Amino acid sequence: MEKIISLSHVTKKFEVGDGYFTALNDVSLSFNAGEFAGFVGPSGSGKTTLLNIIGSLDSPTEGEAMVMGRDIAKLSHKDSAKLRNLHIGFIFQVFNLLPVYTVFENVEFALLLQDVPKEERKKAVMEALEWVGLESMANKRPDKLSGGEGQRVAIARAMVKRPKILLADEPTANLDSANAHAILKTMKTLNKELGTTFLFSTHDEKVMAYLDRTVSLKDGKVVSDVANKDQQVQA
Amino acid sequence: MIKFLFKGIIRDKSRSMLPIIVISLGVSLTIVLSGFLSGAMTDMVDQNAKFETGHVKIMSRAYADNKDQLPNDLALLGVDSLVANLQVNYPDLQWVKRIRFGGLLDAPDGNGESKGQGPAAGIAINLLDASSGEVERMNISNSIVSGNLPKNAKEALIGDEFANKLNLKIGDEVTYFGTTMNGSMTFQNFIISGTIRFGVAAMDRGAILLDITAAQEMLDMEDGTGEILGFYNNGVYDDKAAIALETAFNKRFENNPDEYAPEMFTLRAQNNLGDLLDYANNMSAIFVIIFVGAMSVVLWNTGLIGGLRRYQEFGIRLALGESKGSIYRSLVLEATLIGIIGSLVGTSLGLIGAFYLQNYGINIEGMVDNSAMMMPTVMRAKVTPDLYYIGFIPGVFAMVFGNMLSGIGIYKRETASLFKELEV
Repeated sequence: MEKIISLSHVTKKFEVGDGYFTALNDVSLSFNAGEFAGFVGPSGSGKTTLLNIIGSLDSPTEGEAMVMGRDIAKLSHKDSAKLRNLHIGFIFQVFNLLPVYTVFENVEFALLLQDVPKEERKKAVMEALEWVGLESMANKRPDKLSGGEGQRVAIARAMVKRPKILLADEPTANLDSANAHAILKTMKTLNKELGTTFLFSTHDEKVMAYLDRTVSLKDGKVVSDVANKDQQVQA
Repeated sequence: MIKFLFKGIIRDKSRSMLPIIVISLGVSLTIVLSGFLSGAMTDMVDQNAKFETGHVKIMSRAYADNKDQLPNDLALLGVDSLVANLQVNYPDLQWVKRIRFGGLLDAPDGNGESKGQGPAAGIAINLLDASSGEVERMNISNSIVSGNLPKNAKEALIGDEFANKLNLKIGDEVTYFGTTMNGSMTFQNFIISGTIRFGVAAMDRGAILLDITAAQEMLDMEDGTGEILGFYNNGVYDDKAAIALETAFNKRFENNPDEYAPEMFTLRAQNNLGDLLDYANNMSAIFVIIFVGAMSVVLWNTGLIGGLRRYQEFGIRLALGESKGSIYRSLVLEATLIGIIGSLVGTSLGLIGAFYLQNYGINIEGMVDNSAMMMPTVMRAKVTPDLYYIGFIPGVFAMVFGNMLSGIGIYKRETASLFKELEV
């Protein structure tokens, strides 16, 4: 399997007053293409910092973070943006749809950034909306959608460009149980069909139940790395 | 992308409405004020030119030195040949003689006793010779309130206000008392053929208008005149050409020591009209500078507020992989679109206002009743071609500039905190 993410002795420190707060402490992890994995742990354990680094939104203080063969620490702002634009999708706890645009336009925006021709865009957007079962809602505005529908649009927006990696930060936190399961099933299906690597940051046991691999973090360190329920693949 | 941004502008009223209102207001005010002040100043210059200074004026040097005293004893003589010479040498201009004089006007009653008197400001022009163009130039036919134009040299026009003050009617006889060119007293009776209102307070109060032949006879100024005025045939003052003409004309007499030698003055060099001309020419630029400065500050702040309101949107766009430079450029593009919309609306409104003020003007008669300045009583705007773009370009510029300043904030955004920020 192709190794898509490789973190080697990654440490991330933030300046706090006269000292430092260590958010990640010597983390070494790697993920293959097509994994459906998640980071779990209490608040402040370093889950979001890890997503930030993998998503090229931040860079490590020490160590090496390679994503899609690129050293995150050495990327310029423009190159980071390009990496995200072409290969990384994001799903947030809050759906963060652009309120003045329709569902179609929200999903289309990711392709506009890639200068995809109009006809191709239209086809890709409708296909993405089909994946999440919202093709009939294409012309609706986000304020007309339910919470579950909003998050499905966010998934379509993240997936329409067929990214190699999808990072989801607490994607079910604002959803009821039925919607959470529906969303997770959709993501699992897309993971299988498109081969996208899904990485979650979560507290939610419903999410954990769907993960093929769970990385537990505490105080910025990896305390366990379990595959397929109880199968430890990496310490 | 432009279409996408345009949709956002149209749908998100709070993003576009306030800037469009601010720009429309600024652009329309710039156009109306610029057109109005430029028109008013041009009118003032024009009034002065027609009634007093001409586009160029020739006087004797001695007369020019004391011109405020209307010293007809220092007037030019032999003017018929001088005017003929001017018409040959400078055919671009129409040359006319004028005599300005002061005196006392007496209105007798039925018994020949004085029923009223008042100081008169006399102007003698070529009233009886239609080819001089003086009647049209001073808009006399349209300014007559009652009666008619004089039909002979024994008739005179008198200011309507002056006539009312002296209780005079059409056909009444008045007597002018004054001094001749040689300093002796002169008395002359005239029949009032009409009353006139120029709309110039300084003249309407005490003007008497005679044909120049009558004045020459009355003031012993045969073949003499106080002033020779030159007007460009197209009626438009050409500052550069006038200055060149003045220089060339005066050069011919620079070695002549005679204090009665003719000397030419441009409109610019008289009655401080140079400053007024410069103001009229620069009025648009002055307004544009004020407008761009003020609007940029307002729109900068509007952009900052908009940036705060769209903080989440920019965060999403950064996360989706849009670069900061791309977001900044899209903000500038949006600002350009909004600037164009606002400027179009503002230009339309401004032109409507300017056209209204050009047709109807603002009556300031009450304010200039006691003014000695030569200024019109109805101030009008002047719609010139530059008004079509004078607000438009600064409107777009102010919006773009304001947003360029406020948009710089995007470069300070830390992508590392996006997840936290977008959780809210």
